[in-house]
Amino acid sequence: MRNLFAFIYRFRAFLIFVLLEILCVYLIVRYNTYQGAAFFNSANNYVGQVLEYQSGVTDYFRLTSVNNSLAHENAELRKELMRYRTQQLSDSTNLLDSTFYATTDTSRTAPYILHAGRVINNSVRRMNNYLTLSVGAADGVRPGMGVISPDGVVGRVKTVSRDYATVTSVLHSQMLVSAKIKSSDTFGTIKWTGGDYRRAMLDYIPLHVNPAEGDTVVTSGFNTVFPEGILVGTITSVEKEQDKSFYTIEVQLAVDFAQLSYVYVVENTRKEERENLELEAGIIIDEQ
Amino acid sequence: MNSSFGIRNILQFILFVALQILLMDNLVLFSTGFCFIYIAFLLFLPIDMNRVWLLFLGFLTGFTVDMFYDTMGIHAAASVLLAFLRPHVLNLLTPRDGYDASDSVNIRVMGWRWFLAYCFTLTLFHHAAVFFLETINFQTALYTLGKILASTLFTTTVMVILQLLFFSPKRERIDYR
Repeated sequence: MRNLFAFIYRFRAFLIFVLLEILCVYLIVRYNTYQGAAFFNSANNYVGQVLEYQSGVTDYFRLTSVNNSLAHENAELRKELMRYRTQQLSDSTNLLDSTFYATTDTSRTAPYILHAGRVINNSVRRMNNYLTLSVGAADGVRPGMGVISPDGVVGRVKTVSRDYATVTSVLHSQMLVSAKIKSSDTFGTIKWTGGDYRRAMLDYIPLHVNPAEGDTVVTSGFNTVFPEGILVGTITSVEKEQDKSFYTIEVQLAVDFAQLSYVYVVENTRKEERENLELEAGIIIDEQ
Repeated sequence: MNSSFGIRNILQFILFVALQILLMDNLVLFSTGFCFIYIAFLLFLPIDMNRVWLLFLGFLTGFTVDMFYDTMGIHAAASVLLAFLRPHVLNLLTPRDGYDASDSVNIRVMGWRWFLAYCFTLTLFHHAAVFFLETINFQTALYTLGKILASTLFTTTVMVILQLLFFSPKRERIDYR
């Protein structure tokens, strides 16, 4: 027994090294599982405070571009509002007797709620990129919700603390977004392969459709994360390879991830209902 | 002995980690050259540091950076590897008549050749661990190797600059007396 202890003592440095490395590998594996909640990340309160302080300083250097994008978005929204107003003025169906449709028709209410959040930490140049937002569970943000910006799809909430949330960006090697080509309604999967942060691949588009350069790619709405029709990007190249049954399509992402300042977390109020129904029907929800 | 882990090392820890998180995070050259300057804290620790202590310090440092980078475990694993290899590299690089009590990791005390060999080797191991753990697969090995080399050069250069600017050769001697 004494020999055993002597042995352990003699190789204590190596044994501790091995133990610590095993712990690290365990952490890596556990954190990589898609929805794995972990306490030690940038949604942690203390870490979040440091990051918020940092972005409080650096944000001043970007005020012009932030203002520009907000003003631009305002203009877009006003344009849309105006369109609805003119439509309402010319459309008198609402004034008719309520036999057309009941005013309580739930299909008329949008099931999505948006929570605005400021980006306080961001990266685009690693293999797995994350964002940190200064909204958290106290504001109604939950893990698994989608995140969009005025330009398009950004990512998906991974973990939340009371005041902060970490988001798996589309620029993550394991992030998949269910998308479709708008013109032909063919759906595929958006996947980022690393390298250039403005380009991603659109997989699983079968050979019988004819995608063209410049076609718009939007979210499919087949899962509860993103609403249907949120812009993802535009097709920049379409290639047909000899031995593959799908096209190799490159997409220019609509969002400039290096310039993100404000984003919206999408809450789907009917998520639970829909997922329960699909579960009861025996459909396995794929994590896209 | 100047081997004691003192307030100076704690200050260095805070400074290097803060430098990493607040500044170097945004400084990437041509999207291949990354600078992980926080390992300078581990490299600049006293030479006859206890090995077990060093391993735990390595884990702590990597773990702190991981929390800010959202790369749970990657930097911790690489830093523990660095902490494990450090005594071996120091052994290999022992000067002809061993280390003096007044020796410390300082470019002016130990000379350019010793310092560059020491920093470059350990930085290379650390960066290789970080980038291969990040990609996991070996499909993009060539790109990853490029990243490792560029980043190692970048980090080493920054470390040399910091040494020349802030580490005077005299301070150690005064401490020693």
